[in-house]
Amino acid sequence: MSSQDNLTDDTTDFGYERVKMAEKAGRVREVFDSVAAQYDLMNDLMSGGLHRLWKRFTIELSAVRSGQTVLDIAGGTGDLAAKFSKLVGADGKVILADINAAMLSVGRDRLIDKGALSNIDVVQADAQFLPFDDNSIDCITIAFGLRNVTDKAKAVRSMHRVLKPGGRVLVLEFSKPTSPLLSKVYDAYSFSALPAMGKLITDDADSYRYLAESIRKHPDQESLLEMVEDAGFVDCRYHNMTGGIVAVHRGIKG
Amino acid sequence: MEHDPAVIAGVSFAIETVIAKAIELSPGAQNRLKQLHPLTIEIHCTQPELEMFVSVEEDGGIQLASYWETKATVSIEGTWRDFSRVTTASDPAAALINGDVKISGDTAPLMQLQTIVGDLDIDWEAPIVNAIGPVFGHQLAEVIRAITRTSGTTHRRLKRQLSEFILEEGRLSPPKPELDSFFTAVDDLVLRTDRIESRLKRIKKRAASLTGAIE
Ligand SMILES: C[S@@+](CC[C@H](N)C(=O)[O-])C[C@H]1O[C@@H](n2cnc3c(N)ncnc32)[C@H](O)[C@@H]1O
Repeated sequence: MSSQDNLTDDTTDFGYERVKMAEKAGRVREVFDSVAAQYDLMNDLMSGGLHRLWKRFTIELSAVRSGQTVLDIAGGTGDLAAKFSKLVGADGKVILADINAAMLSVGRDRLIDKGALSNIDVVQADAQFLPFDDNSIDCITIAFGLRNVTDKAKAVRSMHRVLKPGGRVLVLEFSKPTSPLLSKVYDAYSFSALPAMGKLITDDADSYRYLAESIRKHPDQESLLEMVEDAGFVDCRYHNMTGGIVAVHRGIKG
Repeated sequence: MEHDPAVIAGVSFAIETVIAKAIELSPGAQNRLKQLHPLTIEIHCTQPELEMFVSVEEDGGIQLASYWETKATVSIEGTWRDFSRVTTASDPAAALINGDVKISGDTAPLMQLQTIVGDLDIDWEAPIVNAIGPVFGHQLAEVIRAITRTSGTTHRRLKRQLSEFILEEGRLSPPKPELDSFFTAVDDLVLRTDRIESRLKRIKKRAASLTGAIE
């Protein structure tokens, strides 16, 4: 579904439900409020540790160098921010931003534990309305966050605005498995095993059901590529990982 | 065919982790490594197509990446066969320099790095096999072992420490069995398509030579 559809009928997807546009942000917030504390543990269990490898490759693609400014939007508990903090060094800056205060506060605690906070700003912000100057950032990453945003195209345009010319955006997100067989296995896993596991660990099956549903509602590789291009990015491409279960899209601001 | 970046990231993580642990156990190595910074080695396998970058960080750490934008200090290029040949040579270091593997750029730091990592005497097999399965894992470990001239003796204690390290320090949770087998299935699939592809190539070649013979 495109953001155009969103705008005309005044509702948007919340997993498989339709909710009023104005409601979605609130509903998404409830989900992440309820999972924040156990979020990292669930991430590991859900993906068998794979999310670390997906993020690792995303960081490689960022080619971030010392002295640069990096924004990790929908950054949640800050694991990308911690890695970037090391890469940009004392002369650089990392902004960890998320719409959800509970996720950010878990993130802030984590970063303090890791001793990584000196060059990191923590900012509560909505990806659709980034509160940063035009042309001010070298690299933006959004990992497993875009699918939660109400108007995804608007968010991508907002990222384009704040990036410096030559800067790049990286969108790491669940996508469409390239083989139909894999797709079936994966469906079975995420719709049954995932909520069950969520219930066991956080006593909250609904939130994980939402996660599974929102993954299916997310644009596939080609649609997201188009969205990134439409926002004005050039040199756009994507890399499938783990059979297309996730993909990382890259765009450069020309 | 493009390799799955997640698999490569897994191998890189495994290799980095063993090296990091070995460096920790070997005082002196870190200081020697620090002096090599900034050093980036590009390893380009042309058949099958695979590119890896090894870099020495400011703090003496070693990092692997499959994507790198700045120019490497030294590039090594060859087919998997060329690299494997290095492993069977009695003097792998000499074979690396004199064999079919092409080296361009400054080779001095490459040799230094090889000596330092070689001295660490690491067991490569377990972590790499863990990351990509026994078939390719064993071969890749052989190549790395040979290139770094590590003796074949296994160091049980180190091995155990390393698996514990990967679990605890790496904070990788024990993979869920479902996902594990599913991941293996993806690997298998990739392997099988590879095989079918090369079989197709062979058949095409034969067909071409047959038509050639008839004409
Ligand atoms: C699945 S988590 C991903 C967290 C982290 N990036 C990671 O990869 O582990 C999704 C995050 O998106 C955030 N989020 C949802 N809608 C957002 C929006 N409109 N703007 C910014 N962040 C948003 C949520 O609060 C949540 O922390």
